[in-house]
Amino acid sequence: MSAQRKTSPWSMQFSTLTIVLIPVAIGINYVGKLIAAALKLPLWLDSIGTVLAAMLAGPWVGAISGAANNVIFGLTADPISFWYLITSIAIGFVVGYLAFTGWVSSFGRAVALGFIVGIVATVVSTPINVILWEGQTGNVWGDALYAYLVGNGWPIWLASFLDELVVDIPDKLATVIVSYLILRALPERLASLFAGGRDQVERL
Amino acid sequence: MRVSLYVPADTWLHRLDPMTKLLMAAAGVALTFVLARIESGAVLWAIFFTVLGTGRVLRQAGSVFAGVGIIAATFLIVQGLVHPTNATPLIILGPVVFYKEGLLIGLRLALRLYNILSATLVLVLATNPADLTEALVRRGAPARLGYVIMSVLQIIPTMVAQSAAIADAQRSRGMETEGSLWVRVKAFLPLMGPLVTSSLIATEERALALEVRGFGSSARPTFLKPEVRPPHAGLVRIMCVLTLAAGVAGRLLLGW
Repeated sequence: MSAQRKTSPWSMQFSTLTIVLIPVAIGINYVGKLIAAALKLPLWLDSIGTVLAAMLAGPWVGAISGAANNVIFGLTADPISFWYLITSIAIGFVVGYLAFTGWVSSFGRAVALGFIVGIVATVVSTPINVILWEGQTGNVWGDALYAYLVGNGWPIWLASFLDELVVDIPDKLATVIVSYLILRALPERLASLFAGGRDQVERL
Repeated sequence: MRVSLYVPADTWLHRLDPMTKLLMAAAGVALTFVLARIESGAVLWAIFFTVLGTGRVLRQAGSVFAGVGIIAATFLIVQGLVHPTNATPLIILGPVVFYKEGLLIGLRLALRLYNILSATLVLVLATNPADLTEALVRRGAPARLGYVIMSVLQIIPTMVAQSAAIADAQRSRGMETEGSLWVRVKAFLPLMGPLVTSSLIATEERALALEVRGFGSSARPTFLKPEVRPPHAGLVRIMCVLTLAAGVAGRLLLGW
């Protein structure tokens, strides 16, 4: 039953184990958001599962976890999340690919990865925000910045980008760091079962 | 604790087959973007209200609407204050001026938010996720996708219960969950770490259990229950298509 050894990060052979990982990743996303809300943290922290799945099992599983996450919540609990599907897919791809190429090999690199994910999430979300909501994000802090910038004559696209950026950078930074710390603490055997990034990196 | 907003009941909306409700939601979302004017958006919302009301899920829809009330209010405030086309002052509160143009744009965004929500809620509130999943797999969606959806809905309540137990255990060891931001940030990892580790460890066992039950088989699954499509489903489908067509025609010809 052991997961297939993958030679490329883009291998699309999914074992039963990687399929089982997807709902668990979505559950982790959900509980992460719940705990962050219970602790009244000013962050969403709702993509830890997607990031971990991508780190463990590669970009495709990461992207599928992200997509399934937003589709399922879109259809059951939070209809608006459906529209940010592409953002979740992008996060899964980016983390999965970069984890394979050594970006989770040290704490410093994980921090850099967090910044990259924050920027990618912002770049992908901004057009969605502009098309749907004239560039607002619905986040009070981000929208306050948006109001200030547009009020001073900045173009909507740029204001929207910065609106999303101030929210996404801290959030994705924290998400990736938490995921990295959990990944480090996982038993070695478990991490290599999923034949994901770390296993490859260490063999290289 | 349940993830899904589905409310079981026995109304015309609940009796409809999932694919018809999916069509209603899709037509509703499409109409939200087709119709440009505020008045037509309001008419669309009134239609959703009627559907949700006769489907007896209006109360649950109301609590979802209230949940995004702050976002809708932000649209009005921000666009009313700073939208680039603002020219006509409408409300003046000391130094704060709300403009007519921006308020109308904010109102349109809020209506769009509520219309998208309502369209999706027609499906979400009145459809059992298990039925929807089965209908999709019947029509060729991968059975593994069906597993993922159903599994998520079962896993989440378990994980939430488990996280409560972990929180109690960590608190009894002296973990602080209230206080300054840093104290609360520090509490996140001890709460999340054990939960993630134990759920990942459980995946191996679950994968084994699934494989011995033929999960890896590529044969098409059969279904326990036959699919039932009530007699009024055809009518509802035709109404959806006609309403959408009327909306497109109205927009193109009359500027709705």
